[in-house]
Amino acid sequence: MSSKKGFKRKSGASSDIPSSSMADIAFLLLIFFMVSTVFRKEKKRNIEWTTAESTEKIDEKRKNILHIWVEPDGTVYINDQIVPYDNIADIVRPIYAENRELVVAIRGDRDVPYNQINTITEQLQASGAVRVTFATRVEQRVQRARR
Amino acid sequence: MPILNRKQRVSDEIPTASMADIAFLLLVFFLTTTVFNEEKGLPIVLPEQSEEQDVSAKNLIFFIVRPDGSVVVKRGESEQEQVVQYRQVEIILRQELAQNSNLIAAVKTDPNAAYRHMVNVLDEVKKAGAERISLQILEE
Repeated sequence: MSSKKGFKRKSGASSDIPSSSMADIAFLLLIFFMVSTVFRKEKKRNIEWTTAESTEKIDEKRKNILHIWVEPDGTVYINDQIVPYDNIADIVRPIYAENRELVVAIRGDRDVPYNQINTITEQLQASGAVRVTFATRVEQRVQRARR
Repeated sequence: MPILNRKQRVSDEIPTASMADIAFLLLVFFLTTTVFNEEKGLPIVLPEQSEEQDVSAKNLIFFIVRPDGSVVVKRGESEQEQVVQYRQVEIILRQELAQNSNLIAAVKTDPNAAYRHMVNVLDEVKKAGAERISLQILEE
């Protein structure tokens, strides 16, 4: 700082962006994403989702959710394996016995005949896993006046 | 320059300048691979298998989903049928629920109807605020 009075006093603020804490910030974010990452377990299936306006978020831990995929041709997949319709109950029963909080998410293609879905729900009833969700996507429709 | 005088110039500090780069690289990797839990749908609790209830007909309203997506509304007691588009189901059910809050909305779907038609109707039923929903299949 200059020794002269008043005028020449310089601002002590540095013009550099402090980069020494950059790594800390990055690591903080990194740890957040590492902890929150869940890698996809199943293969992606080629289905077209049904849409619904009253779609709700299912607040359930990932491990409590079992997906049942129904492809357009009616093939049923559980954990990447083709399951014949008659065996669904046998497959789900031990999973449900292990985890009583199980929620079964039926991810069916929109054009699958209802007959197939009905068979699945019947099988689920037989296995005891009665908490079911029909997986849908949120439908954006023109807002209607609600009463 | 005599060879003997050459000094080793290895720094004794750990280079920290690239630390941020490494961290960001990993960060970007995890950012792109993260799949947040995205479980959405229409939850419903199926009845237990043994659980069969007798319901008086006046507490029932049937929504019969036909293969073409149209819906037949049938009040429990009357034989009268009304064919509507699925978007009207919400309004109809709201009116009925206002009169009788014990009403059970039974969605009866034709086995050949596409799944999406049934979901559409179930969506309407949920929007109408029905608590008691029954899913059935239409038997010939």
